[in-house]
Amino acid sequence: MANYVMFIDPNKCTGCNACRIACQMQWNLPPHINFNRLDECVEGQYPNLTRVITPLQCQHCDNPPCQTVCPTNATYKREDGIVLIDEKKCIGCKHCMVACPYEARVISESGVPEKCRFCAEYVVNGEIPACVSTCMCGVRTFGDMDDPASPIHAALAGQELMQLLPGHETAPRVLYAKKRR
Amino acid sequence: MQKISRRSFLKIAAGVGAAAAVPLTLTMDFKVFAQDIQDDKVTKVPSLCNGCSSTCGLWAYVKNGRLWKVEGNEANMKSMGKLCARGHGVAYNVYDPGRVTQPMKRVGDNKFQPISWEEAFQEVGTKTRQILDEHGGDKFVWACHGGKETYAAKFLDVIGSPNYITHYATCFTAKTNIWDKMCGGMYNPDFDNAKYMIFAGRNYAGGIIPAAMKRITEAKEKGVKIIVVDPRFCELATIADEWIPIRPGTDLALYLGIAHTLISENLYDKSFVEQFVFGFDFFWMYNKDFSAEKAAEITGISADKIKELARDLAANAPHAFLEPGYHGLHAHYKNSNETAMMNVIINALIGNFWREGGLFPAASTTFGHPEDTYFGPKAEMGSRADGAGVAGQYPLVEAGRGIPQRIPDMIEKGQAKVVFFYHYNPLRSAPEPEYQKKIKNADLVVSIPCDWNETSVYTADYILPENHYLERMEHPKVINGNIYWAAAQVAARFKALDATSSSLDLLDILKGFTTAYGINNLYGFTIEEDMAASLGPIGISPDKLKEEGCIELRTSVLPKIEGITFNTFTHKIEFCIGAWKKEGFIGVPTWISPLVEPQGENEFRLIHGKQPWHSHIMTTNNPYLMAITEDYNGTYMWMNTERATKLGLKEGDWVTVANDIATKTTQVHVTEGLHPDCVWVPSTYGTYSDKLENGYGKGFNYNDFIPARVDEKTGHVMGQECIVTISKGGK
Repeated sequence: MANYVMFIDPNKCTGCNACRIACQMQWNLPPHINFNRLDECVEGQYPNLTRVITPLQCQHCDNPPCQTVCPTNATYKREDGIVLIDEKKCIGCKHCMVACPYEARVISESGVPEKCRFCAEYVVNGEIPACVSTCMCGVRTFGDMDDPASPIHAALAGQELMQLLPGHETAPRVLYAKKRR
Repeated sequence: MQKISRRSFLKIAAGVGAAAAVPLTLTMDFKVFAQDIQDDKVTKVPSLCNGCSSTCGLWAYVKNGRLWKVEGNEANMKSMGKLCARGHGVAYNVYDPGRVTQPMKRVGDNKFQPISWEEAFQEVGTKTRQILDEHGGDKFVWACHGGKETYAAKFLDVIGSPNYITHYATCFTAKTNIWDKMCGGMYNPDFDNAKYMIFAGRNYAGGIIPAAMKRITEAKEKGVKIIVVDPRFCELATIADEWIPIRPGTDLALYLGIAHTLISENLYDKSFVEQFVFGFDFFWMYNKDFSAEKAAEITGISADKIKELARDLAANAPHAFLEPGYHGLHAHYKNSNETAMMNVIINALIGNFWREGGLFPAASTTFGHPEDTYFGPKAEMGSRADGAGVAGQYPLVEAGRGIPQRIPDMIEKGQAKVVFFYHYNPLRSAPEPEYQKKIKNADLVVSIPCDWNETSVYTADYILPENHYLERMEHPKVINGNIYWAAAQVAARFKALDATSSSLDLLDILKGFTTAYGINNLYGFTIEEDMAASLGPIGISPDKLKEEGCIELRTSVLPKIEGITFNTFTHKIEFCIGAWKKEGFIGVPTWISPLVEPQGENEFRLIHGKQPWHSHIMTTNNPYLMAITEDYNGTYMWMNTERATKLGLKEGDWVTVANDIATKTTQVHVTEGLHPDCVWVPSTYGTYSDKLENGYGKGFNYNDFIPARVDEKTGHVMGQECIVTISKGGK
């Protein structure tokens, strides 16, 4: 069984939004429903500025609060680490949206609180998630930690990693490089 | 085993009706699911993105006759497997409700009547013939983006019109004109081997070439130093080692200060200059007093910093460059021409031409062409209506580019009677839209667009819609330029989708039009025959090209020391332009002040740039890209915090922007990331065609505020020689 993680290096992101729309195309989402967003942090005073853009999405937590609160088990976690929603079981109560500290969920056209799927149906065939493959700056790396040949190992090597909102003890599978600026 | 329908957003497959069967357990067998998805046949067709002029290679994924998605082609030197947001968005324009779906004939103000292609060809062909028979073939104008199609020239050649006019003067014409005169062509940066890069007037992370950003970020990972000079903290500055905000319009002074330091401190490559430069002494004679200190006064950058840039360039030379720039500086200031000249000069002073980590010409190749099928009469070639390259008018402007902002003037003076616009929308992309609207006074205006752009709506007598790029197969392209690549590549657009409306390919439109005009068999070939004939001499079959999407030719441009020559009169880099001296100019660059300066507390220079998810004005009706605009307040006008505070403005406040040409309202983005002298707007917004509902009425465009000027040397519009006053309120 695979062990999927995504590594995101915000230090490389220039905010082009290709990840957002590539994902929308991959999943045939309408324009205003998207699973990727960019959080911009500008610090300093003219002319000494730093700008760090952090791509945000479902963190595919190993301890997912959205799953814990789901009354119908619609939200579930696969053995390979990917968190998904079974649309048939979802009653649209939106508890998961409230529980997610990353505000990763958006209401789909059919009223289901949807989110990034780690391109679950595609990565099992060795494909790369659309947000990763389109990224010109190499911000994102996806891979299987249990596969020695996965590019994720080289991407993580020597990186000082951080996770978003560690206080929530969510154990995310999206790992971020520490901000260097 | 229970069947569940695939998720709502997988409705691509809805056309075939069958839902994928998956076992309904918490640990679904996704291999089975994935297999089912794959069983819905997906075809991959190679094409070239039409989101800007970079022509990134891509694969269009088509499922059940409908576009699913596009992905970058790994083999293409512009995309290297990556696409930007606009690339994904523009592909989806194939389903844009703002498309013109069949030929249209104007029947009133903003009123059009659908007609058949046969009627359209007959009416347009006959009318064009009548007008040109009476006034001469040189009264015909073909106005277009430039570099995107190849067929119009045949018609112009037969009727004797030299009036092929491109958009360049509104974009970067100073660069192409000057580099051609000084070095005999364009030179492009080697990101992979440089150790030090200065970017000025070019934001690769806004006006994106994905492969350039891939290579720049990889260089950055290796520790290469990246300097960004820009009045705005642009997207590229985000990843730069240093952002140097410069007073807008003064890059020329910075360059002169750098050159002065290189020469006065003996840091320049004397061997290179001796061998490969003509006119060095003449340049120095005029500029030996323009010190870094003087440059500091003008630019607002300290003399120490200017000297540091010069010393760092020299210390890393030849593995260093001042990136040659693009739209950012080369059509915007009275001194844009001299700024382009100084870019050449600084790179020559550090001797980086043809050197690893420096600048290289583009590798290229030559296509074949179908055999001529027209042997009838040809009219004598007339003179250019816009005066480009014409003695006594604009002799230094490249005739192959033209002066598009002059089209209304040419019409008024009777120099242009019939104007065809091919995917070109000067009513939004050229200065002063109210002036450009006078284009409708021509005897006949024909627009060949995809969508209901402003030029079509306000001026066209006939609209002849072309297919979306994914619906057409095209003459192949050489993929090269802008960024160094050792080999030329060949790629083409292949038809990925059937036309969703009754639009046609350009070749078919021109066949129908010229036949009705009375020229038989001018285009006596099919697109397939054109493709085969074009590729024949380089030994590539159309089938092979369709299979691979992009084919790289033999490596032809590698670093060298021996045998360097430049395609100029002296075969050297000419610091002094002879053609300028002939016209009474001194021929070398010297300091020239910007044409206008902001004065009072509420005056600002209006500058603009490309937003990473929009491609100037051509993407504003795209619902996906406009959704990004909405989410990130993309229409806001940037203003420096200190200036905003003085005007009592905070983030999101409405303001009125005015000068003697226009008055507009917008909201402000208050930021530390902008030089205090200017306000900045994306070049994207201000759609005023009400048939483009997603973009209509959102934001304003810098062209609203600039007059249709013509620079005397290279013909550009001086698009940032524009002062506006800004006051609080307005909405």
